[in-house]
Amino acid sequence: MPCLFVDGVQKAFGGIKALDGASFTIEAGELVGLIGPNGSGKTTMLNILSGHLAPDAGAVALEERPVAGMRPEALARLGVMRMFQLTRVFPRMSTLDNLMVAGRALGLEQDEAERRAGRLLADLALAPFAHLDAGHLSGGQMKLLEFGCCFMVPPRIALLDEPFAAVHPTMKEIMAGFIRRRHAERQTFLVVSHDMPVIIELCPRTICMNAGKVIADEDTRAVLTDRAVIEAYLGEAAI
Amino acid sequence: MGSRARIELIVSLAILIVVALVPAFVANEYWRGVLIVSMVFAMLAAAWNLLAGYTGQFSLAPATFGMIGAYTTGLLAYHLETPPILGIPAAVVVAGLIGLVLGRIVLRLRGPYLALTTLSFAEIMRLVISNSIDFTRGDLGLNVPGLFQSRLAYYYLILGALAAVQLGLYWLLQTPVGLYLRAIRDDEIAAASRGVKVVWWKTYAFALSAAISGLAGALYAHFAQLISPELGLISQSGLIISMAVIGGLGTLVGPLGGAFLVYYASEFLRDFGNYQLIAFALLVILFARFFREGLWGLLRRPFERMRPAIAAPSPAE
Repeated sequence: MPCLFVDGVQKAFGGIKALDGASFTIEAGELVGLIGPNGSGKTTMLNILSGHLAPDAGAVALEERPVAGMRPEALARLGVMRMFQLTRVFPRMSTLDNLMVAGRALGLEQDEAERRAGRLLADLALAPFAHLDAGHLSGGQMKLLEFGCCFMVPPRIALLDEPFAAVHPTMKEIMAGFIRRRHAERQTFLVVSHDMPVIIELCPRTICMNAGKVIADEDTRAVLTDRAVIEAYLGEAAI
Repeated sequence: MGSRARIELIVSLAILIVVALVPAFVANEYWRGVLIVSMVFAMLAAAWNLLAGYTGQFSLAPATFGMIGAYTTGLLAYHLETPPILGIPAAVVVAGLIGLVLGRIVLRLRGPYLALTTLSFAEIMRLVISNSIDFTRGDLGLNVPGLFQSRLAYYYLILGALAAVQLGLYWLLQTPVGLYLRAIRDDEIAAASRGVKVVWWKTYAFALSAAISGLAGALYAHFAQLISPELGLISQSGLIISMAVIGGLGTLVGPLGGAFLVYYASEFLRDFGNYQLIAFALLVILFARFFREGLWGLLRRPFERMRPAIAAPSPAE
């Protein structure tokens, strides 16, 4: 049973087809990269998978349950957790409370939520800032915090949109290490990133999108040498 | 939240205790009356603060729900001779239900659109009551039966209601609901993606805020014994908003302290008529721009400095 099944998803904004029949499958425990040039539909795909947009056509299934068009809070409760490209934390709540929101909303008891929040704060080197308002954290720390919010209750799949963008190398390493450890425990991930070295290092498999379609979906190294992928990034003339 | 909330609770209780002791020293009926009205305003400001300060929904109709509460018990008594013991709970329920409906209508509206829609709602409600002369007696005003002979009895009844509202809100904000409301205030999209039922909790905040306002309005109606559509004037809403903003938005102490300060000041400035509203409006702009947590935020600062937010790194966390 695939963890996530996406079949022929279409989404248009006015005359622009952001997604034009994109399909792929992710098995439980996989760590998959999602790449593609700007405007290829990666974020639109994540928005549909996390319920922030409804597809015009096509099917999305989470462990064989159709979920296309469900609302974000319902999907979060089904275990689809998502990190945004433009960081979203609760700026006037403490770092600890930011984690507690996710924990309590997903049904944890107070003690259990506090215990898990404490462990995540330690894992993500945020423990000293537990009682600081999240709005006063650095940009990288906010990313780490938002990342942590996805793991208060281990999700069925974590959708990470550019988690490493503009993040200090030390924090990038904290996050990558966390992803590797969780992947070893069979946590499923879909990671959107422009940072090819990180994708190569982290993701065994990569999906490449262009113009709303999946143009390559295989072993990461094979994807990066794929003719269609190079063409999408650099244009026909480069080949 | 922990220690910060506890300080707010202690200061709130201290204010309520001082208010409870005032009649022992102030025999003047007029000033006791001023305090009673201040307490009504404190409830209205606390209710609006739940919606605006904690949930981020800037409604411009706080006085309207007070008016709805006042007219609910007033009309029940006038037309059906319903006793206040049923009229006041009915006011809470009716105001709460209308708040729920308004909350559903404005669910997807934000910022200025939300403010304008609630403002229109406020004016519509006031005009409906003002023009339904056969039913409400319109601008002639509606006589409402009193509860007690003694002003002191009103004083302690309304103080009790205010204390219940204040403690109830403290309790509510300590539960996960407090987390959800503040999360919605800070970022609705992020709240939804962390699993918070945004639609549910926003509607809940609207309904609860309206119900508390309805209680305040109903108690005021039985105290004043004469109500008119002027209860729902925009200037009344402005007064409630200025109390919460000057006292401290998104804090428990703010609206409570702000209500007494602003209403007391407005009594002194009574001779200046509507000019007093200009003074409060300027203060609101000043506080909203420079001191977002109001007077209480300013008072709290020295304490916050003593307790640094960043702890020394300790693996024990």
